[in-house]
Amino acid sequence: MEDRGISSRGIEVNTLAILDASGFKKGSQDLIDDRIAFLEAVRCASIVPENGIAPTNKMCEAIFQILKDEDSMELIMASYELLTDIDKCFPRVYTSNMETSPSNFAEVVVVEEAWLPFIFGSESEKEDFNKNSGGTLESSGFHLLIQDLAKVAVETKIEKLETKSLRTMVLLQYVISVLEGDFVPRNSVFKENMNWNLVKESLLNMLLGSRRISYKGLIKDCLSTMCEMSHVHTDSQDMRVPEKSAAKRLKHSNASVSISYFEVKKFMRTALQKFLLMVMELDISKKKADTLGLTTRADGVRTPVVEIIQDELTYNRDSLSPFFQVFDEPKWKLEIIVQYFRKYIAKPSVRTRRSTELVEDATFDGVLKCFSNSNSVKSIIKKISTEATQTLLAHAFQAFLSLSSQHSAEGIHQSTENVRDSSLAEICKNVISAFTNLRRVDEHTEILPFAKEALFAAATILSTKS
Amino acid sequence: MDIDGPLDFESEDLLLKPPTPSKRRKKIIGLDDLVNDYLKENKKLELKAKRTKARKNYYSDDEEDSVEAKLSECVEKCQKEMGQISGEDEIYLWGLQTFGDQKTRPSLGFTELGSCKLLQSFMDNELNSVVELDIEKGEVFLERLLVNGWLLKLVNASGHVEKSIATWAFGLTLYSSKEALSASACDFWTAILSPIIEIKIDWLPSYSEIKGALEIYGFQSTFSSIVSSHVETVNADSDCGGPPHNIRAWIKYVASCTQVRRYSIFSTSEAEELVVIIICLFLDRQLLGLSVILHECMLSVINFFAEDEWSTSCEKVAKTIACRVPRDMNSLRTVESISGLDARGKHLRRAVAFHILVACLDNKAIDAETILRILISINVKDKSCDLFKTYMYLVLTENWLSSNPMLEDKSVIYKLWGVYLRNCSCQITGTDLRSYASKVRSKASYLLQGTNNQ
Repeated sequence: MEDRGISSRGIEVNTLAILDASGFKKGSQDLIDDRIAFLEAVRCASIVPENGIAPTNKMCEAIFQILKDEDSMELIMASYELLTDIDKCFPRVYTSNMETSPSNFAEVVVVEEAWLPFIFGSESEKEDFNKNSGGTLESSGFHLLIQDLAKVAVETKIEKLETKSLRTMVLLQYVISVLEGDFVPRNSVFKENMNWNLVKESLLNMLLGSRRISYKGLIKDCLSTMCEMSHVHTDSQDMRVPEKSAAKRLKHSNASVSISYFEVKKFMRTALQKFLLMVMELDISKKKADTLGLTTRADGVRTPVVEIIQDELTYNRDSLSPFFQVFDEPKWKLEIIVQYFRKYIAKPSVRTRRSTELVEDATFDGVLKCFSNSNSVKSIIKKISTEATQTLLAHAFQAFLSLSSQHSAEGIHQSTENVRDSSLAEICKNVISAFTNLRRVDEHTEILPFAKEALFAAATILSTKS
Repeated sequence: MDIDGPLDFESEDLLLKPPTPSKRRKKIIGLDDLVNDYLKENKKLELKAKRTKARKNYYSDDEEDSVEAKLSECVEKCQKEMGQISGEDEIYLWGLQTFGDQKTRPSLGFTELGSCKLLQSFMDNELNSVVELDIEKGEVFLERLLVNGWLLKLVNASGHVEKSIATWAFGLTLYSSKEALSASACDFWTAILSPIIEIKIDWLPSYSEIKGALEIYGFQSTFSSIVSSHVETVNADSDCGGPPHNIRAWIKYVASCTQVRRYSIFSTSEAEELVVIIICLFLDRQLLGLSVILHECMLSVINFFAEDEWSTSCEKVAKTIACRVPRDMNSLRTVESISGLDARGKHLRRAVAFHILVACLDNKAIDAETILRILISINVKDKSCDLFKTYMYLVLTENWLSSNPMLEDKSVIYKLWGVYLRNCSCQITGTDLRSYASKVRSKASYLLQGTNNQ
């Protein structure tokens, strides 16, 4: 250990000297060269050898600063990849081997001194932050990044894209991957041993709890950005790849930006979704901890992210379709849609027929049953328009199909409540009858293209199953 | 100077320089004072004078100001000289044009619509009164099913992909100019090739079809190398040609094909060829932004080889690369593009570095010890010595030797390496103005520090 300490300090001095050597050179290409040389030196010292030496905090900070501030495509990509590779080789948080732990539970190992791209909270840290503002992000910096991203997302002309917009996306991706690498192992172990402190001390929880950001604003910005990104995804006509003549006019750097743009954007959508999903998982864990009495007042109160999403979708119905196009994690997608419908389905308990129906409502099947009753169909479309109803039904069906094929692939029979108790064929039948009822209630109902595709899918699956 | 002590270049430099710098330094310190004085002066002047600042700088006969003017002149002159010196230092950049003019793409039309069971079987369904599917417009409908993800759901439910759909989606992946279609079709193929879900696919592409696409994009296996010393030239040259956006889908498609062994779409030699192609793609600056998926693809392809094939294939790939890559910055980029994250990547990185080094030395030797002796015999002090080559030797050798299990017990190799590094770091002085002199010197001393630390 001692040896390692010495050699890693040696490497720190030597690699950072590569950056310092740029002191009296003027050419910008020289500076880029030096930074590339630095990144490559770190890779050769830490990643390539069989027993590489973990880069020190100062080194990581220098790499992160390159990612954060540089405009050269080569540097942005090289620093991003180096940072992610470092995280793979030297994770900050990992679960220890089950066998070594006496309790048979996996344990979380946290490398306390590991470098983080964030700085949170207290005043002393704030001072620290001001001193070397280059190498880290503040919690509000994360929100700023998402806001920058929103600006990138609305840009539809490829020609106008700059390396800078690409950098924003790459940077945010890295930051989200850091949050993920920290949160996922903690949360999975929490589910086993119910040690709330693990999750409480996760970066994600600290970030969301930070007083320097507006949590709701952050989530809302996240949602609107996702919706913006989906427009581009579907309106392929608008966002056509530039024709060859146009491509010729593009400058070189721009050509490499435009060719990678869609790829990075796609990663970005996935990253934002990942972020939301983590917050959802965090909410569940917190609720569990609450019920077990593990939380204290210091934990604070936060609106669950699903509620914020519900509100957004309720008040801004135009965002239903784009949101669900991007948000494709089936379990949560189905959950959110079912909850959305439940708000508008007349409670059977009012008519006091059977109290068990209340429970049934909570599943997709339950929702579909309501659509067999033309009275409840009428009341639903009166409240949320027939277009929204169709969109939601079709997306819910799609999510259901994903779940059911996931389960059959993994051979899981004990499935979540939404898939349980209803066979695929039955759901297909009910989807078809729900749409038929929609048309029966209002003869002028236009069936949306997306809903037609859903009907096609339901009918096709039904014909092969029966 | 204490020879046994650690190398200290700062003190060495001081010895070499004439004593004038200390004088200059004094002047520079004086500049701060002058600025302070200037600011004070400025405050006084604010009240009476309306002369512009610039005028004051140059026309005032105030003594302080004239000193300042002289000083700034001097600084400017120095800066110009510095600029000239560093300007002489040629900078080499990597970058090859791997794509030339595109060829005509095959037509994409869904020719077998009539035989597409998926659509046909629905035509008689009573629900068609609602869906209004017209077999003539079937292709548009299928495209929507693809982009909106329904096609994959249907395939997952039935566990089967018919030939007409497989070929159609394959064509879209590689040739559609609509981004959404190409990307969705690629996702579709990635999903059905996924090793997790067993899906019966009635048609699989052959290697020649996949490679053929690359040729249609204009890929040239022999490069029209744009070796140049300045960024501008690289920019200008890139105006012609360039790959279509489908190159992204191509890269991802290859990655997913090599993830499944149960279909064995590629033979061993074809997979070797793919590794070479992917490494070549790393050399095109236009694809810089795709380096993440290129790395993923590379990882996937090198893990495609069976355990007993790998060593031989790795050597073969490395030799081919060494023959093809120009011996300039592109060689270094080649080595550096292999990320070395997993065991096979590390192996490939070492092998490629080694074979390029051998090629750079005109294949005079393949034995490790002889190679190092050749390197040591090069006199770096000689004015005619190409220091850029020396720089390349340094980087290549480092990559070849670093944690090389084949050479672990051969201490003589590492001794020779140390000698070579000392040659490069000590025999080139800090005042050497040849291009790449400072790069070689600092690289060698950096590596030397590393070997000392070990």
